[in-house]
Amino acid sequence: MSTDRDRILSEFVDAWSAGARPDVDEYVARVGEDERAELSAELAAFLRFAPTPEYSDEALDAIRADPIVAEALAASSGRAGLLPSLLTRLRERLGMSNADVAGELVRTLDLPQDRAPKAASYLAQLERGQLEPSRISGRVFEVLAKVLGVPRSELEGAGDVGGWAAPGAPAAAFRASDEAADAAAPHLDLLARGLATPGESARDEVDDLFLGGR
Amino acid sequence: MPFEPDHVLLGKFVDAHERGDLAAASDHWERLAVNNFDRVKNTVKGFRFSPGGPGIPQDEHGSAASEAFLRVMAMSAGFRKRETGRFYAALATCVENACRDFGRKELRHQKRSAGSVDQRFEADGETGPFDAALAAYDADLRRQTEEALEAEAARQNAESLVAWGIAQITNDNYREVLELTYLKKLSGEVIADRLGVSLENVYQRRRRGILELERILREHRS
Repeated sequence: MSTDRDRILSEFVDAWSAGARPDVDEYVARVGEDERAELSAELAAFLRFAPTPEYSDEALDAIRADPIVAEALAASSGRAGLLPSLLTRLRERLGMSNADVAGELVRTLDLPQDRAPKAASYLAQLERGQLEPSRISGRVFEVLAKVLGVPRSELEGAGDVGGWAAPGAPAAAFRASDEAADAAAPHLDLLARGLATPGESARDEVDDLFLGGR
Repeated sequence: MPFEPDHVLLGKFVDAHERGDLAAASDHWERLAVNNFDRVKNTVKGFRFSPGGPGIPQDEHGSAASEAFLRVMAMSAGFRKRETGRFYAALATCVENACRDFGRKELRHQKRSAGSVDQRFEADGETGPFDAALAAYDADLRRQTEEALEAEAARQNAESLVAWGIAQITNDNYREVLELTYLKKLSGEVIADRLGVSLENVYQRRRRGILELERILREHRS
């Protein structure tokens, strides 16, 4: 003899397969408190390998308009990709500040504690999308993964999705005109002087970690 | 943009990667993620930290689904399989990990202590609950490929992980209903009509079959 739970699970399956976008909460609410955990588990078991229904154009539009989807799609199409959104979300969920994460970073990597503010500054840049993920050392990803409790591959993957990860368009090839050398010379001189001028502080291990590449 | 099935999008995604067209690959993965958003969201809602135990608090469903969806989007960097069953297994692992992480936030001060919750995240040591079934499935495919004629081998390779899992179910009644549910996508009423059984019987076989399939794919040991 089937039970109400059997019927409700089956109704969810049918609604799913028809592309009607059933909601687990609504179906779970149809059974008594004592059966909700079991029905949830059964619905989850179905969903893991359920064939994706053939959604209508309207259903797909509705999915894209969901705030969760819209936010993720906007992040992935941005230059900095998914990493800033994901890092910020993970850190805030754990109730940690950038200073907390930076403290863990320098401690784990055996760096002097006075480097923590600089590391925090880099982490803030990263969350603002101002730091290119491919320039960040794998050691940083490793520590962030441990501190934030996610697989390293997911963080690196988030860094690989986005404008910075995509190769740039090939530069246009052109034949320099006779005046090109004269026109470029002052700019090249300026660049050379800039590169030769010592900075206020020397590049240190933290710079290497965030700018040196994987 | 009209609907395209997951297997088509996965194929296009892998093809785009292989020819180095990262923009196209990203576009195909994005559409895959959209196709599977309801799966992600509902899996978060149905998730339980232990069998029969509590799930994620209802007021955190949105945050958890948002994080899980971002992590599914990020999966594109490392996923290169063409088969939907493998994609669903990876997606389920990713979403369930995201859900578990929600239960770990209060442990953040214990995380750095010995035997901490970080153990799951050893570098290069990522395993999922479906890995054993996937390995057994791979082994089966390899063995069958060696034994079968070329045409037959091609057919075997085309079978999905889910079809393979259903074929492992020993109870004929459950297996029959699952084939019609997962592979033919028929409604309960049509299945009852086709098999000449009551709707209640279909409900019962479906539930038991779904749990059996889940057990096979999650716990199978090669």
